[in-house]
Amino acid sequence: MATSNVHARFYSGQGLKSLFLMCALPLHIWTFVLAFRDFSWISDQTNSWGSIGVLSYGLVYALIESIALFIIIAILGFLVSKKWEENRRITLLSVLAIIISIWAMVSNLYFLMEISPPPQVINIFIGFTHPLRSIYAITISLLASTFLIPSFLILQLKKPYQFIKDGLDRLSLLMTLYLFFDFAALIVILIRNIRG
Amino acid sequence: MIQGLSRRDFLKLASLMSLGIAIPPSVQYLGIPGILQGKRQNVLIVVFDALSAYNISLYGYSRETTPNLTRLAKRATVYHNHFAGGSFTMPGTASLLTGTLPWTHRAINLNGKVKTSFSKKNIFSAFADYHRIAYSHNRLVDRLLKQFLEDINEYIPREKLYLFSDSLIRDLFSKDEDIATIAWTRIMKHEEDGYSYSLFISHLYEKYREYKVADFLEFFPYGLPEAYGGRNFTLEQAIDWTGNRLKNINHPFLGYFHFLPPHWPYKPHRDFARQLSNDSWKSLIKPDDLFTRGKTQGFLHKHRAFYDEFILNVDSEFGRLFNLLESSGILDNTWVVFTSDHGEMFERGIWAHITPTLYQPIIRVPLLIFEPGQQSGQSIYTATSAIDLMPTLLHVTGHDIPEWTEGSILPPYAPLISPYGKNGIYAVEAKYNDPATPLVRATAMLVEDNYKLIYYRGYEELDLNNERIQLFNIQTDPEELIDLSLSKKETASELLNEIKTRLKESDEPYL
Repeated sequence: MATSNVHARFYSGQGLKSLFLMCALPLHIWTFVLAFRDFSWISDQTNSWGSIGVLSYGLVYALIESIALFIIIAILGFLVSKKWEENRRITLLSVLAIIISIWAMVSNLYFLMEISPPPQVINIFIGFTHPLRSIYAITISLLASTFLIPSFLILQLKKPYQFIKDGLDRLSLLMTLYLFFDFAALIVILIRNIRG
Repeated sequence: MIQGLSRRDFLKLASLMSLGIAIPPSVQYLGIPGILQGKRQNVLIVVFDALSAYNISLYGYSRETTPNLTRLAKRATVYHNHFAGGSFTMPGTASLLTGTLPWTHRAINLNGKVKTSFSKKNIFSAFADYHRIAYSHNRLVDRLLKQFLEDINEYIPREKLYLFSDSLIRDLFSKDEDIATIAWTRIMKHEEDGYSYSLFISHLYEKYREYKVADFLEFFPYGLPEAYGGRNFTLEQAIDWTGNRLKNINHPFLGYFHFLPPHWPYKPHRDFARQLSNDSWKSLIKPDDLFTRGKTQGFLHKHRAFYDEFILNVDSEFGRLFNLLESSGILDNTWVVFTSDHGEMFERGIWAHITPTLYQPIIRVPLLIFEPGQQSGQSIYTATSAIDLMPTLLHVTGHDIPEWTEGSILPPYAPLISPYGKNGIYAVEAKYNDPATPLVRATAMLVEDNYKLIYYRGYEELDLNNERIQLFNIQTDPEELIDLSLSKKETASELLNEIKTRLKESDEPYL
């Protein structure tokens, strides 16, 4: 009963759905990008049906990871003060989920596209007395600012909030399409495991 | 009379002999007491993946890579011109296990399979009266073993000898294990390319995996040996397990153990790491091939040294396995075979074995056969093929040789009639072909007498004729530096006709 009250106070069904879609979106985009990069290599290893199989497993896994991320973000959401209306809180949490995902993607860029900081930047770090500590400090500052600035815009200013919210609503529509792909992927996996 | 015998006629004759229509003179010649006394002898095939004869000191490599093998060769029949059926795991292993060439069994793609009719035509089905046990670290070999599962009494899943396994995936998706495993690797494992489909949980997974294998890391300065997808193992553990299992196995048995080393990634035990990478040994520098992958001499030299160190490791572990078998008495009644499925290459701008070429380092592999109780060594210099192994083992253990095998009984086990010197040895590379269509993009090799012809067709790199021919005298020019295709046109033409005829025959069912 108490749980139900807390649930009612923090999230509506629509709010949770929007939050879930925004947690799932970046993970699905990432899976699609990588699966298409891998497609020809996997086709060489197996065939096109095999490549579709790999993509399908990837999508279903992305769905599972999305659920995990959604649960964590939703729990973290309880830390946000209830003085802000639900829509604003959902928008904030959605943006945080997207930013976390973007940073996780950035951390892969060196391997994916061989993008690394320019030599001048690396030389600056080398010049510090404690290069590693400096890297951590700057990274944390960078991460914090990417969270704090959007939080401020969403919670304190009306126009940016509305703009971001409208954007997220449109992205939700796109993510609904991805959920359809997830469903198709699940069917593919079932077929592959029934036929053997 | 002998000249007129075809390879197939010879096989039939050999088969009849082992059927006992007459007292098998070859058996008398061999003095195989097991057969005459009605005691069936065991067969143990030990395959080390991607082990090139070129890099083995027993075969003349000037770097000392195989001291144990050299020692053991004094008790074995050593084949000095032995050729794999294909240039990578799938066709090479399928040839070994079916006694047929890739253009026949059709396991020609990286992730291929033998054609359906060969599911029941393999070495395991031919040894139906034996206890048959099989294991491989290698995902591709495992795929083949699964095709032959009905004929294997004791199939050991490859995860059994991994330090950390994802057996949950295998169990959950047992009917789609290959693709589920590839997907899992791409989803979870950063080690493959440095990135994975999973943005978050993959990091936790990696940490967990690192924790599980942490105790072994100190023994492997270059990192832990790994099979596809970062599945770590140690050859030492695999050899221990194999030795112990064979002590208690039902007799007679056929054992097929296919270990991944020295296949890339080259990660030898600390006793062998850095043993050769800083020596002053220099390789012969050869000009880049048409199919060069642009690898520099420095790169090739460095990786060759790591590979050679891994061979040192393999040599030591095979020596240990041999000792284990000897001390447990298994050797007294067991034929032991030491071989590989294909080679590895560090020259002409090409590294490893994914290449259309069929130069000696890629295709010439070791073969040593240890007879039960053998105490003296002998060398065979005649060209032989991986497809000959199955009929030979069947013959020496008193089995029928199935009609479908394309191989012959190896010398000296067929002393009465020898087809060698007349029949050629073939190898085929066709990984980019659809196995159900004619081989339009392929490389085929024919070794006859001292000559080796390599025929390429259908590759984008070729000129307008869409063909390329190379002819080498591998006795006088073992490094394959002088292409004789223009100066010895007649020989080249004769061998080319033979290859084209065989290709045409093999393509016929797919036209």
